[in-house]
Amino acid sequence: MSEPTAATGPDVEPDFDVIVVGGGIAGCVTAYRLAQAGRSVVLIERGEAPGSKNLSGGVLYSRVLEQVFPDLLTSAPIERRITRNYVQFLNATSSVGIDYQDARLAEPVNAVTVLRARLDAWLAERCEEAGVFLMPGVRVDRVIREGGRVVGVRAGDDELRAHVVVAADGVNSFVAQEAGLREKPPTHHLAVGVKAVVRLDERTVAERFHLVGDEGAAYAIVGDCTLGVGGGGFLYTNRDSLSVGVVLRLDDLVKRGLRSTDVFDHFLGHRFIAPFLEGGEIAEYGSHLVAEGGLEMVGHIHTDGMVVVGDAAGLTLNTGLTVRGMDLAAASGIAAAKGIDEALTSGDTSEAGLAGYRRELFAGFAGKDMETYAKAPAFLERTRMYEEYGLLLGDVLHSVFDHDLTPRRHLSQVVRSELKRSPVRLRDLLSDGLAGVRAL
Amino acid sequence: MSSTYILVAGDARISALVAAAPGATTAVVVGTRAVADAVATSGVGSVVWLGEPGDAPLEAFAGPVADLVAAAAPDVVLASTRPADRVLAGAVAARLGAPVHTMASKVEVHDGAAEVTRAVFGGIARQTLRTAGPVVVVVDGGTLGEGGSAPVEEVAAAPAPTVRVVETRAAERTQVDLGRAQRIVAVGRGLKAQEDVAVVEGLAAVLGAETACSRPLAEGVGWFTKDRYVGVTGQHVQPDLYVALGISGQLQHTVGARAAGTVVAVNTDASCPYFAEADYCVVGDLYAIAGALTDALR
Amino acid sequence: MKIAVAYKWAPNPQDAAVGADGSVDWSRAKPAVSEYDPVAVEVGRRLADATGAELVGLSVGGPDVASPMAKKAALSRGLDSAVVVADDALAGAGTTPTGRALAALVQRLGDVDLVLTGDSSVDAGAQMVPAVLAGALGWPALTDVVAVSGTAGDLTVERAHAGGSQVLHVTGPVVLAVAADAVVPRVPGMKDILSAGKKPTEEVPLADLAGWQTAPVEVVATAGPELKVRKGQVIDGADPAAAVTALVAALRADGVL
Repeated sequence: MSEPTAATGPDVEPDFDVIVVGGGIAGCVTAYRLAQAGRSVVLIERGEAPGSKNLSGGVLYSRVLEQVFPDLLTSAPIERRITRNYVQFLNATSSVGIDYQDARLAEPVNAVTVLRARLDAWLAERCEEAGVFLMPGVRVDRVIREGGRVVGVRAGDDELRAHVVVAADGVNSFVAQEAGLREKPPTHHLAVGVKAVVRLDERTVAERFHLVGDEGAAYAIVGDCTLGVGGGGFLYTNRDSLSVGVVLRLDDLVKRGLRSTDVFDHFLGHRFIAPFLEGGEIAEYGSHLVAEGGLEMVGHIHTDGMVVVGDAAGLTLNTGLTVRGMDLAAASGIAAAKGIDEALTSGDTSEAGLAGYRRELFAGFAGKDMETYAKAPAFLERTRMYEEYGLLLGDVLHSVFDHDLTPRRHLSQVVRSELKRSPVRLRDLLSDGLAGVRAL
Repeated sequence: MSSTYILVAGDARISALVAAAPGATTAVVVGTRAVADAVATSGVGSVVWLGEPGDAPLEAFAGPVADLVAAAAPDVVLASTRPADRVLAGAVAARLGAPVHTMASKVEVHDGAAEVTRAVFGGIARQTLRTAGPVVVVVDGGTLGEGGSAPVEEVAAAPAPTVRVVETRAAERTQVDLGRAQRIVAVGRGLKAQEDVAVVEGLAAVLGAETACSRPLAEGVGWFTKDRYVGVTGQHVQPDLYVALGISGQLQHTVGARAAGTVVAVNTDASCPYFAEADYCVVGDLYAIAGALTDALR
Repeated sequence: MKIAVAYKWAPNPQDAAVGADGSVDWSRAKPAVSEYDPVAVEVGRRLADATGAELVGLSVGGPDVASPMAKKAALSRGLDSAVVVADDALAGAGTTPTGRALAALVQRLGDVDLVLTGDSSVDAGAQMVPAVLAGALGWPALTDVVAVSGTAGDLTVERAHAGGSQVLHVTGPVVLAVAADAVVPRVPGMKDILSAGKKPTEEVPLADLAGWQTAPVEVVATAGPELKVRKGQVIDGADPAAAVTALVAALRADGVL
């Protein structure tokens, strides 16, 4: 038997055209599209059922996934359509927010909340209908390399071979690291997310957030919610529950000697957050790692016989106001399926043959956005974002609204005098403003 | 007046069944005459005894028991959760087409309809269920009851001829009755090695407690005997003090100890489910805490 | 000759969310082959291999019992084929209809003298289906079985019994509920799952089964679990001595020690 070449792949007749490891959004979209194109695909998922390892959910910018599943909004388990975005600067005793509501966000639908346990199961079902062979309950131990290229995966005593292996196994992608594609990410590119799903009844959710029908709200919160640790809080409305949590920069958390659970408890108990949750029951709780490194995290995403998609490829964006991952995952799945299908047609599944994936990804909105927000992570590392601006805003507004019988001053005077009291220097403000404009 | 049939297979400890039975009670006893006589003085109205079993296992009487109960057409059939009793109850349910209720806390009969309040889905919720017709209820049997002396009627029955006991090996040690323990120290997967059972036994000794475990330690690795396994399909206990060491708090375990007075849970994982059902939640290493607690109480 | 293994496709209630009113949300709890059923499949596989029998899986339940995922999960554990009844009327069915429907399936299959089951189901934990199944067939049932040898019609069965054990000789058809630790079941590998996808499965319409129904059970009231109010006082065990001092003081104050 001759050694396989980089271009043609395994000499042995492979079990499948494509092996996808990981049954999240990126993996399911890749598998679904390839099955639609007539390729034989196996989808390996370590959970006993797709979605079973997935914690809570989040906001999905839905239009990209609609390209794959035109009936997404009517058939998939969607919680609510987001029509209200709220940016909140939280201080210990004050809170300043920007409340953005827009009917145009509902028609056509732009963003929806989803619970991943439900969505992933739905996606897997669609994959199975399209002819994908689902293989749940299997943990891949090794990537098989022969002749310098990836030819398959090993789990226990069994090997499976394919022309292309797709690593879709999440932020700490074991498969991509095994293949030598990606280094373990440094901690300053990682954040720890602590989330809970709090059950309330449907009416209470609608009342507390002024929602009609299946409209939903998404809160992005910075400041005291994280006890000053780099990161932020979020709160999304599901149909009859709230997803609430904090995302904390791992290095900053360690530096300050805080535990993520302490920060989370502080957030949930905050006087401006707690009323939203009152009377709710915590239905799920847990923490996981989030990559928030932006473009810097997207390095090598394909090699001979393998591509990396979704979170595994570092495709997450924290723009400060929105945390995005699911739409980028879907976009990378679409791009990967196209690139792989072309490579299979041409018979060249080497790194060069699979380069169509990267081209496709960066030609689309996902890659463009990653470039657009390339500097966002560094900007968000400026700690003033998390403490002092919120306080400054709070103090300015306090001076305006607190009628304490002293004569009123013009707003510009108020700002200047508060700025004088605040540790924030004018040049910081300018510098951060400029950096923000450039990064976001 | 409603009527209840109590099924007994070889073990006369049925006080809880007698207490739960609505209406007139008849016990159908499979086993030796001595068992039938003990049942007769445990507060039932009458006893039907199916004769000496010889070398037939008690389960081989399931068919005749089902025939007998079907002919009597009672409103409620009660049986204990002991293995052979369950087999009799199942055969009766199949014959009557009656629903089976386990984990029941209340059994009533109103206008010929049976109403049973029970835990469902392994104990995550409760339901009250009504059936127009007979129901079979399988619950913990309880202890030896006292009261009256019911007549014992012998109705000799033929057991299934295809099953025979060839050999019985007695227990090498006496079974522990965890249901009566006042204090219990239980341990779960947090225990790293079989020799570490001594750590648990050391703490139990100074507390005057029985040792117990979660299912994997009795059935997975066999570090404890099965009579010490607390859980939905194991022992259900009600001690004053229940110390859970290194038990994460899976529902299938905690259901067996929910009646405990005070619960202390020790776990390294502050988010383990047991902490939601404990009075004292010690976040720490079970070895360090159990050791320090043993020293403190010695 | 066939050996049947009854298995259940069920979610773990541990993963379900329960409201204070007792309403149960199963969306997070994914069904799987019930925890102890693979032990029964493994016992059946070894017996089938030793006697040249065919090992057939039987399951009844809601529509998802017939899903490709459910069939693969069951067949990958060593069954030769599977016969299922998947019908809304059997979703969440109680012990008696489940046991009776399984019995009807055994009779329909024919040429079966041995039915194996697991010790208990992960969702109900009632340990009653094997007894009802045997009762409906008119067969004897034995539980807590730790070993089986021989062939159907001449079986030697060992079971746990009152802390000791008992050896029985079985010369007719029988239902055996296998103890959870009878054998260690295999963990299905990728090749097992692949070949499971190619094994024959048959879906029997519920209408083909007779006499499985029971008197209707009406839910009169629903409530959350009966839980005592617990203090939930957290004690940091980083310093074990200090933690124990606090714990002992609290237990003494409560009058427990």
